[in-house]
Amino acid sequence: MTHFRLGVDIGGTFTDIVLLGADGALYNKKILSTPDDYSRAIEDGVRSLLETTGIPPTAIGEVAHGTTVATNAIIERKGVRVALITTEGFRDVLEIARFRAPRLYDVSFRKPEPLVERRLRFTVPERITALGEIDLPLDKDSVARVAAQCAAADVNAVAVCFINAYVSGEHEEAAAAILRDKLPGIPVTVSSELVPQIQEYERTSTAVVNAYIRPVIEHYAERLETRLADIGITAPVNIMQSNGGVLPAKIAARKPIFVIESGPAAGVVGAQRLGAKLGINDFIVFDMGGTTAKATIIADGAYAMAPETEVGGDAALGHRMTQGGGYIVQAPTIDIAEVGAGGGSIAWIDSGGGIQVGPRSAGADPGPVCYGQGGQDATVTDGNLLLGYLNPSALVGGELSLDRDGAEQAVAALGEAIGMDTTDTAYGIHLIANARMMRALSSVSSERGLDPAGFPLLAFGGNGGVHVCNLAEALGCQQILVPPAAGLFSALGLLFADVEHQCIRAYYQSFDGLDLDACNKTFATLIDEANTLIAADGYAEQARQITCSAELKYVGQNTALALSVPHLPLTLDSLAALAESFAVAHEATFGYRSDEESVQFVSLKAVGQGLSATPRLPDSITLPQQTQPISAARQAYYGPDHGWLETPVVPRAALNGTPKAGPLIVEEYDSTTVVRPGWNAQLDSWNNIVINKGL
Amino acid sequence: MIDPIRLELIKNALVMVSDNMMVSVLRTSRSTLIKSNMDFSASILDAEGNMVAQGLALPGHLGATMPALRGCLDYYGDDIEPGDILASNDPYAGGSHLNDIFMFKPVYRDGERVCFLSLILHHTDLGGRVAGGQAADSDEIFQEGLRIPPSKIYVGGTANDTLLRVIEHNTRVPDKVLGDVRAQVAALISGAGEIEKLIDTYGAGELKTYMTALIDYTERLVRSSIRDLPDGEAEFTEYNDDDGVGGGAVTIHVKLTVKGDEIIADFTGTSPQMGGALHTNYWFTASLTYAALRTMLPADTPNNVGFYRPITVIAPEGSWVNPCFPAALGGRGQGGYRVRTVVTGALTKLFPDRMPACPGGNEFGLSVTGMTAEQKRFLHVEFHNVTGRGGGPDADGQDAGPYWLGNMANTSVEIIEAENPLMIEEYGFLPDTGGPGKYRGALGLVRQYRLLAEDAIVQLRADRHVYPCWGIFGGKPGGLSHSYFVRDGKREEAPSKFVRPMKKGETFRAEMAGSGGYGDPLERDANAVAEDVREDKISIAHAENEYGVVVDHHALTLDEPATTTLRRERLQ
Repeated sequence: MTHFRLGVDIGGTFTDIVLLGADGALYNKKILSTPDDYSRAIEDGVRSLLETTGIPPTAIGEVAHGTTVATNAIIERKGVRVALITTEGFRDVLEIARFRAPRLYDVSFRKPEPLVERRLRFTVPERITALGEIDLPLDKDSVARVAAQCAAADVNAVAVCFINAYVSGEHEEAAAAILRDKLPGIPVTVSSELVPQIQEYERTSTAVVNAYIRPVIEHYAERLETRLADIGITAPVNIMQSNGGVLPAKIAARKPIFVIESGPAAGVVGAQRLGAKLGINDFIVFDMGGTTAKATIIADGAYAMAPETEVGGDAALGHRMTQGGGYIVQAPTIDIAEVGAGGGSIAWIDSGGGIQVGPRSAGADPGPVCYGQGGQDATVTDGNLLLGYLNPSALVGGELSLDRDGAEQAVAALGEAIGMDTTDTAYGIHLIANARMMRALSSVSSERGLDPAGFPLLAFGGNGGVHVCNLAEALGCQQILVPPAAGLFSALGLLFADVEHQCIRAYYQSFDGLDLDACNKTFATLIDEANTLIAADGYAEQARQITCSAELKYVGQNTALALSVPHLPLTLDSLAALAESFAVAHEATFGYRSDEESVQFVSLKAVGQGLSATPRLPDSITLPQQTQPISAARQAYYGPDHGWLETPVVPRAALNGTPKAGPLIVEEYDSTTVVRPGWNAQLDSWNNIVINKGL
Repeated sequence: MIDPIRLELIKNALVMVSDNMMVSVLRTSRSTLIKSNMDFSASILDAEGNMVAQGLALPGHLGATMPALRGCLDYYGDDIEPGDILASNDPYAGGSHLNDIFMFKPVYRDGERVCFLSLILHHTDLGGRVAGGQAADSDEIFQEGLRIPPSKIYVGGTANDTLLRVIEHNTRVPDKVLGDVRAQVAALISGAGEIEKLIDTYGAGELKTYMTALIDYTERLVRSSIRDLPDGEAEFTEYNDDDGVGGGAVTIHVKLTVKGDEIIADFTGTSPQMGGALHTNYWFTASLTYAALRTMLPADTPNNVGFYRPITVIAPEGSWVNPCFPAALGGRGQGGYRVRTVVTGALTKLFPDRMPACPGGNEFGLSVTGMTAEQKRFLHVEFHNVTGRGGGPDADGQDAGPYWLGNMANTSVEIIEAENPLMIEEYGFLPDTGGPGKYRGALGLVRQYRLLAEDAIVQLRADRHVYPCWGIFGGKPGGLSHSYFVRDGKREEAPSKFVRPMKKGETFRAEMAGSGGYGDPLERDANAVAEDVREDKISIAHAENEYGVVVDHHALTLDEPATTTLRRERLQ
């Protein structure tokens, strides 16, 4: 019987593991990550979880994995030796980049060094115009010479990116054919095959990152499958991609740029699928962990996608509008706003006598003062402990006990510096952390012209439930949901995603005078590709779903939008309808439409989804491992309006369909949820805590 | 009694309102200058016009917002009411240059003004003699385009159609400029809505009290940071190649004094006002001085009037850095870089362990306009102000490293080609142009254009063809800028500033200056020199001539004995 699914999410500090039964029984385990070999913690954690639950490895029918391995390989510069081949005249595009820094006035800032040094950047004579015409034919002899230089330089991978290859990949393909022939065994990444998108630096960077980490990820995927096989798990391993779909590990590893934001994507996909199950189409997803808080908006049942992401950019320290701190990757990524405010964020007094929280974090080591591991700086978690929100004697189901006295001293010292008592200071830290998170929440909503006040909040992450109620008050939100296993929700979310293959082709053609037959033929080829891939994963014909879309833009402008192409083959009428939907979407996104401008294709895409025979989400979740909390009530502080209140502390199982008035604290193995006075909590059929404003 | 927690919360809320206005502009604007280069800033000022909070602002906008609002307040006095939006681009009423339209929206509660919201956008073209408004050779502001004195672009909640139509009829690209103007107005209105919510939460009186407290807090923070700096005085002199109309070199001089908790930047000794359009008016000079000094302050110092109070900028009236009406200012972006580099120079002398040598670049600002094959107008405006970082104080100037006093992105070659009948033939480093030093300056860059349309008018404002980016403490200057046209195989040298026609097939090559070096090149780690040779960033000859380092021609390895001998000879 294979009636369990295994979800594994690697984070910077913890590796989260969940086992979900077909009946909705959910078992979980948090274990410290092992950065020297991330698959080791996975093996240890899974073994331990199987032992304590008595579930046999053969009962696991599917494994879904979210991983930071790709990101870490880039940040820690652990990729392979790459050669880059570009158009003559453009040897330095990769190193010049865009002249952006994440912050001004910082004389010491240095952008990250290029992943390919100048001596391994080769050029060949060739040139294609912006219209796709050949201005200078590819010099094939030069390519052959460069291949020889690559061999002599002992490179492990090659990336090819020519100017305007997003319009026509002809020269890149011809060069790649020569390179593959002359350099057998060396993987060649071709920019127009990977991401046929405009902007030479971004596309070059994307191709280089792919070439740089592919062998690392392939090796990791193999090792993970071996380790799981050692335990006796032979189910296929799927890896979460940044866009929210999963792919078989071996396939995902070939194009690792698509798995960079694997972990954060899992939480959002899980939330979006859960919302759909519950019939909630518009809500804000709020994920607060140890070092950062993340926010995403779900509108009309869908999350927004960003066309690119920056690896190692330390987004939490900068601003959503600034770039330049990391490596740009043009891979469609779920649009998530992030700020440096988490449980470990440090509170401090600046030289003007103001109190600040973050972005510096105590991380996992030494961690907050109350962890008793040598941390000296008061953090958000220390404040939450003093406010009575966290259990003073135990966290993570009793595996971590807290030093309340230490936390009190650290917070009191801060309070003294600004002339406030310890409680007010602790509450102030809590509020300032919330204010920083508000900026993330507000940016995701105002970027789409929406007012967050009307939206419910879905909160998870180790600290999501502690802060969400206060945050909802500040935003004017009326309803909050805290899903089961909130502290490991990303690992659970992995299990809700579908297998998804994306087949993309550059197609830079105006709608005016479009060759419809040729366009339909290209779509047909892409659909065939997607079908073949999804069939190879074992999905029968009726379980395959192919959807087509296209990136469109106005001729003469450069921001493209993705539009779905529901009816194929295209006719003159459906093309006109597509142009109209583009104009409508353009107006919704950018505030105007330009009917005098022609519309054009940028690229065509077919997405093949494998539909699971059983529903991805169970009808409800049960938590058989759940334990009783240690104390039944404690004092907690809710601000000057409410003061200290005796607060019942209960497990999730103590709640039911009848609203229970706050103040109330729900304490669990992996997270804590604070229900403020003026709010009430109940459970829905899926075992979510639903917190509503009013009595 | 000011509650420090509440102060921090209100500060966050105000910055969030400014940020959200920026986001709104980014989402709804039309031009590449706004969408891609992000040449705009948002802020909040108190009811009297004192800056309280700023979003991510451009350095050049730091100090210009308050005087521009002052210009509007001086004109309108009490004749301002809810629903008005004030607008001005007049450099002689507190503005900066004509392309920057400042807009201010007051927010009222119960008849009392609580604050102003402000947005500055650089608009692509507001008419004038040369498209883009950047020409260096204008003599009077009247040649530079539409001048909007303090005006109301919204009156009591209704758009001023007359003014909008005047703008529409005075730009070469009305869809882009009007689109950007609408985005600017819409963002101010939505920002005002957010301020209303803050007033609901805190009350108008409380919010005003805390806005004042925020200014005082910033002043305390800045004074305390300045007090931590050692007292001192340093002078620095820089030169602009010319004034844009052949008037010869311009001297820019500053004396920087750090004393107690104050800083004085005195530009006395700078050339008097000249011809051309490169002048920086007083507020632009002050903005850039504030920006350069901000590098010495904590990163999270709020941008408000409390930050300016401890700083005094003296710029004699009628001088090149504070010209009198009707001097032209359209190319002031270039002149402004000389203000930045001269203040940076004085800072480097004052704080040699904190500041590097001169950043590279020739403040390249290009516009190309003409008709496409389809007889549609194209206008390409591009800035490539800097090329990299100066060497020092403890590392090489990073090649193509971003500039800490400007954060404008370069423009993608593929986007230029997709939108204009231009082809970029080369964009890359120029070996041997990094200023030699113990810590090498960053390399200069080259960009080469070919015209694909039949005809075009090209305008350039740039510099550093004569006076290079300086090195310091024994470091040498970076390579000079240099540019030329090639038509039918014939080369024609180009000056740093010009307006001229260009024909199909003709190419224009712009070699931009390299950055200055820091410290004696003979002290540079010889291995680092050899590594530069292997990276093709310097030639073997350059290694030998400038650094006294001998590199083997074939293996490209360091010849240590030969280097030791050569360096010893050089030292004698």
